[in-house]
Amino acid sequence: MIQHLAKNRDEAWPWLSAASVALSLLMLAALVSLLVVRGLGHFWPAPIEEVTLADGQVIAGHAVREAPLPDRPGHERLYYTANRDLDGALWQWVALDTIQTRSTPVELVLLDRASWGDFIGRLVAVVMPNERLEGEAAWQALQQHLNQRNTVANGAPSRAASGDSYVPGDTYLIVESVEGRQRQQPLHVIHRAQRPNAMSMGEKIQTWGSAVWRFLSQGPRAANTGGGVWPAIFGTVLMVLLMSLLVTPFGVLAAIYLNEIAHQGRLTRLVRIGVRNLAGVPSIVYGVFGLGVFVYGIGGSLDEWFFSDTLPSPTFGTGGLLWASLTLALLTLPVVIVATEEGLARIPDAQREGALALGATRLEMLTRIVLPMAAPAMLTGVILAVARAAGEVAPLMLVGVAKLAPQMPLDGEFPYLHLERKFMHLGYHIFDTAFHGEDVQAALPLVYATALLLVLIVLVLNLTAIFLRHHLRRQRGN
Amino acid sequence: MTPPSDTLNQRLRLARDRLATGLITAGGIGVLLAVLAIAVFLLWETLPLLRLGDTLALAKLTPLAWGTLKAAFYALLFAVPLALGAAMYSALFMSTRLRHRLKPTLEMMEAIPGVVVGFIAGLIIAPWVERHLAGTLLLVIGLPLSALVAGTIWHHLGTRLQRTLPLSWAGLWLVPWFVLMIALAFWVTPLLEQQLPEDDLRRFLDKQWGIDYATRNAMIVGVAMGFAVIPSIYALAEDALADVPKSLLEGAQALGATRWQALWKVALPTAGPGLFSAVMIGAGRAVGETMIVLMASGNTALFSASPFEGMRSISAAIAIELPEAAPGGLTYHLLILAALALFVFTFLVNTLAEAVRQRLRRRYRRLEGHP
Repeated sequence: MIQHLAKNRDEAWPWLSAASVALSLLMLAALVSLLVVRGLGHFWPAPIEEVTLADGQVIAGHAVREAPLPDRPGHERLYYTANRDLDGALWQWVALDTIQTRSTPVELVLLDRASWGDFIGRLVAVVMPNERLEGEAAWQALQQHLNQRNTVANGAPSRAASGDSYVPGDTYLIVESVEGRQRQQPLHVIHRAQRPNAMSMGEKIQTWGSAVWRFLSQGPRAANTGGGVWPAIFGTVLMVLLMSLLVTPFGVLAAIYLNEIAHQGRLTRLVRIGVRNLAGVPSIVYGVFGLGVFVYGIGGSLDEWFFSDTLPSPTFGTGGLLWASLTLALLTLPVVIVATEEGLARIPDAQREGALALGATRLEMLTRIVLPMAAPAMLTGVILAVARAAGEVAPLMLVGVAKLAPQMPLDGEFPYLHLERKFMHLGYHIFDTAFHGEDVQAALPLVYATALLLVLIVLVLNLTAIFLRHHLRRQRGN
Repeated sequence: MTPPSDTLNQRLRLARDRLATGLITAGGIGVLLAVLAIAVFLLWETLPLLRLGDTLALAKLTPLAWGTLKAAFYALLFAVPLALGAAMYSALFMSTRLRHRLKPTLEMMEAIPGVVVGFIAGLIIAPWVERHLAGTLLLVIGLPLSALVAGTIWHHLGTRLQRTLPLSWAGLWLVPWFVLMIALAFWVTPLLEQQLPEDDLRRFLDKQWGIDYATRNAMIVGVAMGFAVIPSIYALAEDALADVPKSLLEGAQALGATRWQALWKVALPTAGPGLFSAVMIGAGRAVGETMIVLMASGNTALFSASPFEGMRSISAAIAIELPEAAPGGLTYHLLILAALALFVFTFLVNTLAEAVRQRLRRRYRRLEGHP
């Protein structure tokens, strides 16, 4: 059969070319669905399994994945067992053939703690100053306490969680891991308590929703392996906003000059090609320029002139929000110029000539006729620029992104917007957490979620631009 | 209205107009100069290297240049056949409706940030491929073959089925077929691997030919960066192919050529320069891409052409080392020289591609009968 095809190339090649389309689509679909499944799945309250091994050991945890055994046939499974304070590790590999029994007891609890990470085990008792509750009553009391605190303090532990030192008179919990080791936990180190095995579908969806919300609205914890990405979202958005404020006027200005005012000769054509080609220059080159000119050059001079009392520790002479925005503005300038020029070129000359013939000056012709007609094209350009800037990481590594910014660049302190501060960025957060973290396995789910968020932001921006452009072309009848 | 105020008004308008024109001109030229400043800055900062005259220092850059070219080569090796194939298919065989959907979809693919692709490639795909090396290599041969098998089966189907699964939609309905084939491939490979003396392809490669396998290697980088480069090559190549004057193709088909012959003998030679410039643009992107190489390559500066070993590229070296380099020091100037090399290379490649495209457009206009 294949020989028949091989002889008849006319029939074979179309199939191969169709295959390349199918393969591209398959890769894209695989990437996006991997991000969606792993990114959103992390927040789902997975069941906790209690597993008895052949040697009598009992462990409890979420099953994460399976892999073939390295030394003999068969598979092993990775469990997330938490309890780093008891076991010294968060994970445990278990060979499948050593598992004796598996069950999902409803009374297993998952505690989210301020220190040592999660705890998986049983709740023995809640000890209050005047009474001691056990069993189901203890669980009820714990829930009540946590709910009360969440409504008061908006989810954060009531006390600055300064370790799990026990203060007499406080309420504390007695918890027990599945193999029977007990621990006392002061109530104030507990963020949340769950019994995933006992949850109904509705409760699971609710828990999932609130976990997604916490991811979006809280700051990172435990060296970026836990908590949320709010500072990174904030930093990305602020930086991109500043950048679009910078790039829009200059890009539009340059496009108007090139298309409406400059003499349309050889030089203008060369400049146009040059600008177009700048869009293809690697982003890291812009980063080098930003570091050399903005940070070391302009920033260094600013420090000498205005901030000489704080030298040698630099104020503007190191990467910061302003320099990052400027660098990205320069990087996206060609995008805006090209898009705006396209819009300007699409406007028929008759419109311009008509306005001039009626006695309008060039400025009036530009502001009343040409710019309103080109506005959607400009908007498209700016959105494309924002989409490109939001996903760009390499230049930021040179001009001011931080793995963990202690202060937000926007706060209540005068002058409110701190242009010299370093900021967090979603893309860099992905890179740093995935490659420089201590426990990559623990950070992975959050990296997936962050990547999904970044892709969503960029795709939505691009879709808007594509839709606008499509709409625009149809309107102009092209 | 009295004439004097009218002329005053008029003069005011004119003055404002002249002022605005002046401002726009100044602003426009200013922006263009700022852009030019990039090149000037890079050149200026590499001048001290001449004074130092340390040719040995340049030797530090050679492995980086090698790594850059190696990564770009493997990326193009993966991306060019796929992108050109997709362009040919969508320009000539695909149904118009699917084509209008496919273009924005691939634009989305281009928009996916490099850091996400790099993360997936470096942390998810690389360890996975290491565990399933034989299966992955099998796919390289298996997938094209399975497309041919699908074609053969299709030719033997009844007309009714052929009409429900037309060739013009094959780009879409081949996707589930591929999923099936990939599953089959990974089910079959353990059985095949047992035939090897070592029971595991990686150990076999090492023992038989001494081939090292690094987890993050050129093959992974090639696939990941190819993924990022496919859309830009595709978009330009598809434009070039779709703009081939219809009269040429129709003429060829009227003379008895099949659709594929018309494509191969008429459309491809005509659009050839356009395809060339598409590949050039892709090469420019592959050379400058930073995050994917940084995250998926292992970052070891090696001189090795093996697809199973890593590399360190210029862009990755700049991203890692430049923030730590003292301004004014040797490393700093060297890295800026590296950035200048990237800048010049991509700028030249893009200019070449653009010039070729302009000429092609003129040729099309001539072919369509407009002088």
